[in-house]
Amino acid sequence: MKRMVLCLFFATVLILSVYPASAQQRILLGIPTSLKLIEGYEGNKAAELAVEEINAKGGVKIGAEKRLLKIEALDIRDGEPGVPTSEALLGIEKLILDKKIYATVVGNFRSEALLAAMDIYSKYKVINIGTIAMTPKFQEKVLSDKEKYKYSFRNCLDSRYLAGYMQNMMKHISSQFGYNKVFIATQDVLWATATGSMMEKWLKGNGWTVAGFEKYPVGASDFSAGLMKAKAAGVQVILPIFDMPTSGILVKQWKSMKIPALMAGFISPLMGTNAWKTFGEDIDGLMNVVFEIGYFPIKAYPPTVKFSEAYIKRWKEDIQSGHGAAPAYDTVYLLVNAIEKAGSLDPDKVVKALEATDMVGVVGRIKFDSGHQLIFGNDPKTAAVGAVFQWQKGKMAVVWPDSIASAKIIKPSWVK
Amino acid sequence: MLVYGLINSAVLAVMALGFNLTFGISGVANFAYGAIYVVSGFLTWTLINHLDLPYALSAILTIIIIGVFGGLIYKLIIRRIRGLVISEVIATLGISIVILEFLRYVGFIGFKYSLPVFIKGSVEIFDAYVDIQRFFIIVLGILLITGLYLFTHHTKIGLAFRGIAQEEHTSLSLGINPDRIASFSMGLGSSLCAFAAIVILPLGTITVDSGYDVLINALSVCIVGGLGSTFGVIIASFIIGYAQTITATYLSPHWTIIVSLCAILIILAIKPSGLLGHQKELEERV
Repeated sequence: MKRMVLCLFFATVLILSVYPASAQQRILLGIPTSLKLIEGYEGNKAAELAVEEINAKGGVKIGAEKRLLKIEALDIRDGEPGVPTSEALLGIEKLILDKKIYATVVGNFRSEALLAAMDIYSKYKVINIGTIAMTPKFQEKVLSDKEKYKYSFRNCLDSRYLAGYMQNMMKHISSQFGYNKVFIATQDVLWATATGSMMEKWLKGNGWTVAGFEKYPVGASDFSAGLMKAKAAGVQVILPIFDMPTSGILVKQWKSMKIPALMAGFISPLMGTNAWKTFGEDIDGLMNVVFEIGYFPIKAYPPTVKFSEAYIKRWKEDIQSGHGAAPAYDTVYLLVNAIEKAGSLDPDKVVKALEATDMVGVVGRIKFDSGHQLIFGNDPKTAAVGAVFQWQKGKMAVVWPDSIASAKIIKPSWVK
Repeated sequence: MLVYGLINSAVLAVMALGFNLTFGISGVANFAYGAIYVVSGFLTWTLINHLDLPYALSAILTIIIIGVFGGLIYKLIIRRIRGLVISEVIATLGISIVILEFLRYVGFIGFKYSLPVFIKGSVEIFDAYVDIQRFFIIVLGILLITGLYLFTHHTKIGLAFRGIAQEEHTSLSLGINPDRIASFSMGLGSSLCAFAAIVILPLGTITVDSGYDVLINALSVCIVGGLGSTFGVIIASFIIGYAQTITATYLSPHWTIIVSLCAILIILAIKPSGLLGHQKELEERV
């Protein structure tokens, strides 16, 4: 009996002493984000999928040894209304100091939180590759002191590229139908109104008449007055820019009021298959700008098919957000590539390898500019790519860019 | 604008009737009204989507469950502080925040929460297409007001409601239990709120944040119309409804909620009892 107790004791000691050592072997990737919001929720799952795939192949090769990865996600709620930036920053510091994370992926929602967090990342030399916040001030800050802010990268679209894609969409509409009169409707938040203003300026300078620019407060649920104005002005295109949950109502009303104009822009809640389940044919004909391809399968670019299938197989659901998930998946891979190229976990060496990244990802070809912003273009073989799709009988048909397009724009029956 | 102003007015009237009924009878300003509206939407959605119940049955069940829930709020919380106006406001506002934040916490976030319309399609009136659901709101609003009138004038419990509203102590001497009637009024007011949610929410999506807007709109209509006055509610709905539509058309949609708040301020400055708030008029003069 005594011997048995002694054996048990030594076995326990052995297990306890071995366990932390093996746990320490894992490289911890922090995900400080708003986990309850769709982009954070799906970004976390996409990163987790990449980690599982990499671990299944033995992990990250650093010199002669292989290390496994592990995700440490923390809901810092910075995308939720009323949560102060300081709280989000405390969460990031907690991950760095308590959990001893090596790098963060996905990251901040709000741009002001991202800009403030960049100082924390440089203080602790923690690599941060964000996939959600979109302010162009990010690159400006990196370039303002390259040595200090070199640890921060952004592997997703920024608002300048978004405006660029919208401009391409409008050119495409103009070339196909000869339209030149537009009505802009945006949510009254900084990113949306700034994008709207950029679009207004561009449209006016490119032969379009902007018949109205309406800003709706967050939570607005009746768009009939604006739609009547658009109809009275005889516009041919309505350009919406929204990410609030109630913005789907705009499209419902557009259809029920039979406003004779194309609806083409960005309405975040109508990006995924759940939108069709919720709104059905009410959203047929809507054109939406995809921030980064990859969240639904595009036959012309096979990595998107592979990723979508893997995500659905792992999580038993498909991706609903056109922003953040595919880049989060790519981010884990590009970080691992950089670590393996550097042959070390030394953040300075890994940053150098990240700067030299040139790899094929789900979102297209991944390369960073001098401000550590992912470079976007129109062909996934040469750059990361956004796209424009149109809801056509329940399918998300890509209508632009030509390199991956599978359909032409179809006008709804009540639009001449 | 005429057509949509009319519809907006009907929406406001339907939205505010429950709040007005509870206040008119029990004197309780139910600041949890917006939260009850949102809960009703989510409950109906859950019954349809998770229990696979038919839409009509889900709607009826919601109206009953929410009515019981409202009555319980009165019995368990409000009854203990009844008559202490500030405490009633704090308590119901507290309940409202707890409900809404709880809904947010358990994950009722996003756009997927939407109720189906009764009949799909739209019809053209004066060169404007209007979806059929909006006509339902107008028709059901008229039926609801008529029903309420008949209920409060021709049923025993309805007469008890009016008795309590007119003079609580005298009613007590006639054998009417004010607590019981106030509890009923809270339950009925909540059921009306659920009814409003089921009729109005198919036009949009169910979101936690809309609870606060519903409360502001209901409050402004009732204050402008005169708390407790059904006809006041109808008149105020038209005033605020058209004011909001005109503001959204000629100024900006951003200012529509300001219209409601300004209406409250103006009426409180000019005629605190509201346009038809006869019950409080005497009190005001004193």
